[in-house]
Amino acid sequence: MNANAFKAKDYKSDVTPIWCPGCGDYHVLMSITKAMADLNRDPKDMAVISGIGCSSRIPAYTNCYGFHGVHGRSLALASGLKVSRPDLTVLVMSGDGDGYSIGGNHFLHACRRNIDMTYIVMDNRVYGMTKGQPSPTTEPDWDSALSPGGTGLSPFQPLVIALASGANFVAREFSGDIKNTTKTIVEAVNHPGFSFVEILSPCVTFRPDERAWKGAVHRASVDETDDPARAARRILTDDGLNTGILYRGKRAPYQAHVKDEAGDAGILDARFKV
Amino acid sequence: MEQPRVGTDIQFAICGSAGDGTIAAGDIMKRAAALMGFKVIAFDIYPPEIRGFGKCISRIRISDAQTYSLKRHSDVLISLNDAHAIPHVGEVRDFGAVLFEDNSIAELPEGGHISAHIRAAQVPYGFGIREISEKATGLARSRNIAALGYAAGLFNMPPGIFHQIIAEKFAKKPRAVTEDNTRAFDAGVEAAARVFKLDDVSVGRPLSAASGADAVMMTGNGAIARGFLEAGIQAYFGYPITPASSIMERMAAALPREGGRFLQTEDEISAIAATLGAGYAGARAATATSGPGLALMTEMMGLGVMAEVPFVVAVSQRGGPSTGLPTKTEQSDLNLAVYGGSGDAQRIVLAPTNVEGCYRCAGMAFEIAETYQTPVVLLVDLYLSNRFETVIPPRKNIFAPKPRKTPKMGKGEEYQRFRLTESGVSPRSIPGEAGLTHTVTGLEHDEIGHPSDRLHNEMNAKRHHKLLPATHFPGLTTQKRFGDSGKVDVGLLGWGSTFGEILETLYTAQGQDIRVAVMKVVMLSPLPVDEIAAFMDDCTHVLVPELNFEGQFANMISGATGRPVTRLTQTTGAPMLVDDILAELHRLIDSPAPPPTSSHRTAEGVRA
Repeated sequence: MNANAFKAKDYKSDVTPIWCPGCGDYHVLMSITKAMADLNRDPKDMAVISGIGCSSRIPAYTNCYGFHGVHGRSLALASGLKVSRPDLTVLVMSGDGDGYSIGGNHFLHACRRNIDMTYIVMDNRVYGMTKGQPSPTTEPDWDSALSPGGTGLSPFQPLVIALASGANFVAREFSGDIKNTTKTIVEAVNHPGFSFVEILSPCVTFRPDERAWKGAVHRASVDETDDPARAARRILTDDGLNTGILYRGKRAPYQAHVKDEAGDAGILDARFKV
Repeated sequence: MEQPRVGTDIQFAICGSAGDGTIAAGDIMKRAAALMGFKVIAFDIYPPEIRGFGKCISRIRISDAQTYSLKRHSDVLISLNDAHAIPHVGEVRDFGAVLFEDNSIAELPEGGHISAHIRAAQVPYGFGIREISEKATGLARSRNIAALGYAAGLFNMPPGIFHQIIAEKFAKKPRAVTEDNTRAFDAGVEAAARVFKLDDVSVGRPLSAASGADAVMMTGNGAIARGFLEAGIQAYFGYPITPASSIMERMAAALPREGGRFLQTEDEISAIAATLGAGYAGARAATATSGPGLALMTEMMGLGVMAEVPFVVAVSQRGGPSTGLPTKTEQSDLNLAVYGGSGDAQRIVLAPTNVEGCYRCAGMAFEIAETYQTPVVLLVDLYLSNRFETVIPPRKNIFAPKPRKTPKMGKGEEYQRFRLTESGVSPRSIPGEAGLTHTVTGLEHDEIGHPSDRLHNEMNAKRHHKLLPATHFPGLTTQKRFGDSGKVDVGLLGWGSTFGEILETLYTAQGQDIRVAVMKVVMLSPLPVDEIAAFMDDCTHVLVPELNFEGQFANMISGATGRPVTRLTQTTGAPMLVDDILAELHRLIDSPAPPPTSSHRTAEGVRA
């Protein structure tokens, strides 16, 4: 890696993040810039796409081509960008509200479509930017001013859903573990197809309890698998704090399909002749 | 009585039940006429059910000069099913012909036969349609083609051309199908040769055989697809919706073959988001939808305006609100197309008025979007999307993209994606270009693109002002005046498909010694206000016919110019009738000075 032309700082812009001191997203920013340096891609050939929320501010903090779009639509936007510019390395950055709530349907179909890009979700189980509402991954008994007595709702299971929907690479990391997070992001980017990395990233302001994640997360005791059935069984017994790569699939990534018949301009024109 | 305006100007209406081959017969007629070198406009109406026995009508207008709509009266009605055709006898003009089955095998109730409904001034041609088909082929299935042959024989249309079209149409079927249909056609021609021709309908020779040589028959949607392809579209994302889906079907087949990308997305939000993403990445990208889809897309229209990303959205309107009338035409998504979204989000909206306009606007839309770094909406409607017209495309592709120019930076100069320039257009870089990386955002931003509300007013002004020169975009007709010059009694302002009926109204009124002019407005945002205002200054009355309830275009015009207008609106799901526009025109001429405020009338004509 020492021979690389780029260093992590080459991917960082001079814009000061808006995040609260102690936010897990600082660590994610460090991990992705380190991963970019390890990947040794020129910043001009990388696109960082996001939606809305604290985590979605990340594109402007990098030196790549960035798109901070609207709430929940980052995967849809990135899909169009990637299929029309396959030469670019595309990272899609999201949060649990942006990615799993308003962007939930796009998540399912991005997994299905298996376009070669990497989806990184910073999950803090709360809406931070709008000041502390429960999110799809919030525990049912999380008691707060905005969810008195807890929501009582079953939390969204991102890894299960990604696996069931056809994502080709599924991993979970903890933001504080920069070394492993960096490594996993590199693996995710290098793996063909749609790669999904869920990063537990504490919100110290609205979820101070998440400071405890640092001591609670643990590396998964079993190796990654390419067998979806095994991966599914593992998730069923997961405590939500296992980190590491869970699944590395073998599906071929999205490619444009050209029907044989369509290869003949004359036949095609005849079909549409009116 | 109305006489044909040019040498040949004849309109056939073929009416039958689903399964009678009504649309197929119309299809052969319009393709044969186009091959002969005539200009053709055709529009089919069929029931919304995929399978059923509803009424089908195919109307085909054949002329040797460019026309812009169907005629108010048909010259020939061919009935393949009397129950369905009887209500349409009235649309046949005096001395026009009605062709029908005179050898019915079923007992009909009183008034059940079409002959009882034909006016004395109309010319009846009863003949044994079924018998001709059965004698020629052994089956009654070729009734439609036998009737078509009879019509062709009656008006001396060359059978050879029909033979050619029949062979093309059934090329994929067993040879016997072509042979049977050709025999049925010829038997029809022969039967017609034996009758005495009473009427004044005539199909002459096309003005120039060469005029038809390069003519291509297209639907509005087909023309949009062709324009996109000639403009080098690289990516298309869509979600199925009537009546826009046929654009997507063409893209699905053509784009991957030409190295482009096509995706059917999970919804319209994703379709336009992907289009925007591809546009941001430098690709020529488009999507197409109808009103309900556009409603979902407004969020991304706003982002496209804010992030200054070029892309194209074709919108084929249908009846609304909500799911509305999916298979009926309407012009009620104008407000949504022009204003839809949060904030002040001005974008470019083009509304072609005929099929050739669809082709030209679609061909130029990307260049316009790139020039002004903005979304461009191509606004049509079902009537325009699905109707057929002959178009003569230029021999040379005039829409091919020009090579992109990467912004040049001075030494030590910081790249500012949203630099405030005199024109309002800023240097735009795309991913992959060195030294020009930046992040765009849906948040208000400074010149670099960093989130900031410091320059909100200046940025709003930039986003609006940069579009204004588009009203004079080179090579694009954004508005055009027709009819009498100078002061006129009534001026009609029209947009979209309704302009065809408005122009037809003009031609009719000019024969009635009324001073009248019309203006078509193709660019609906930004509006060519100066030209519209100058036109209105010439008019004692201004009439704005359109297919929506509120008079959305009239509101827009009236608001932009501060001048009173008279609205004429209709939401029957059908195109406006020339007779209704004409009636309102006469009412206005008989009215004194224009009212101090705008007035609003609803056309009552209904045409199935």
